[in-house]
Amino acid sequence: MKKLINLNINGKDHELAVSPNQTLADVIRDEIGLTGTKKGCEVGECGACTVIMDGKPVTSCLVLAVQANGRTILTIEGLETDKGLHPLQQAFVDKGAIQCGYCTSGMILSAKALLDRNSHPDESVIRMAISGNLCRCTGYQKIIESIKSVSKYKNERSLSKS
Amino acid sequence: MLLPKFDFYEPTKLPEACEIMDDLKDKGHPLAGGTDLLVNMKKKLIAPGHLVSLARIEELKGIDASNGILKIGACVTAAELTESEVIRGMFGALAEGAESLCSPLIRNLATIGGNLVAARPAADLPPALMAYGAEVILKNSSSDRSVPVENFFKGPGESLIGPDEILTYVLLKKPQLASGAAYIKLGVRKTLEISLVSVAVYIVLDSQDGSIHSARVILGAVAPTHIRAPSAEKMLLGEKPSDALFESAGNEAANNSSPIDNFRGSAEYRRDMVKVLTRRALSKAYHDAQEN
Repeated sequence: MKKLINLNINGKDHELAVSPNQTLADVIRDEIGLTGTKKGCEVGECGACTVIMDGKPVTSCLVLAVQANGRTILTIEGLETDKGLHPLQQAFVDKGAIQCGYCTSGMILSAKALLDRNSHPDESVIRMAISGNLCRCTGYQKIIESIKSVSKYKNERSLSKS
Repeated sequence: MLLPKFDFYEPTKLPEACEIMDDLKDKGHPLAGGTDLLVNMKKKLIAPGHLVSLARIEELKGIDASNGILKIGACVTAAELTESEVIRGMFGALAEGAESLCSPLIRNLATIGGNLVAARPAADLPPALMAYGAEVILKNSSSDRSVPVENFFKGPGESLIGPDEILTYVLLKKPQLASGAAYIKLGVRKTLEISLVSVAVYIVLDSQDGSIHSARVILGAVAPTHIRAPSAEKMLLGEKPSDALFESAGNEAANNSSPIDNFRGSAEYRRDMVKVLTRRALSKAYHDAQEN
């Protein structure tokens, strides 16, 4: 029997009827139509399906849509604003951190979740924060440099304000 | 990967959850974080017809340190364990175990209750919990009972929880003065990994002469369940801590283990690593005890 749920996705409320066995990843992609969230392993081991739920990065393939009822969800599509790409997105583009792009949504959201709670992470902290997101193309180097550059940028911006 | 169909229940209070489990007559399966259960369902290893979610029950989400006993709600996540000040301060080995569980993404979903009920021999939370002498509370609509974590596991994937029971809390007594603990995990990878070997230790030093008054040595991933290493523990009692003593205890611990050969590593290698990890964990716990 379907259940009526409410998901707040990228600031917008969505009321949907879902089956209990539908995952959040499937509902985001197939019902809402936001396909930036990818499905890789579908068992929580690759991080391609990462979304930020109530401020925490999680593997949406292992969250039932009914469990996400009433929660606030941020997908990759929610990072760009009318002012342009999020600094993390821009850094990934500028530094060549994207090859096939499949891990990118998850990587950027894990990085955003990190920078939201720790704006000056050192490299070991960055590596740990993205350790649930696998990349088969890049070897991670450019990804880590992109995240470092944004944290440095955040530092410089706050210095210039004072 | 499709999940099989099931009926879904979302109680907001514990008595309501117990009533639902009762009505379902052993056909109800509790669901917390889902990082083990949903994976097994996707892989078609299990297909429960009724899932009873515990995720909206507020009383299962807290860490309560009043009354000298630490009471951890079953739905507390691994991430919350690593971030809790009282756990980092007083139960450091448990924080270390939680930190080494899978990945940061899974840690935001996986719960302490789920990690225990899944009863995997390489699970990351049982070793420290056993080292600290923790207990679990199992509840159904008629009664509560407590079981030491040490006795909770029957075999790989099998625990003592009854088909109508819910694991509600994990209880830990405050560690004694002059005690120290440590958890060390060895995997092929540093993270997102299932243990090859893991060791947790808890030692209490005698306040008069600094000898080891009591010791618990727990081995993970080297037997069908997490086990104590009784001959290692016996060797430590009454002795003054030293590297030589810790090395001998490590050798004894290896004799208590019964690892298997598999694609991650050979039994021989695992036995060798029990020696190394036990020695290192004892050394770490000793330093921890000296600071307390």
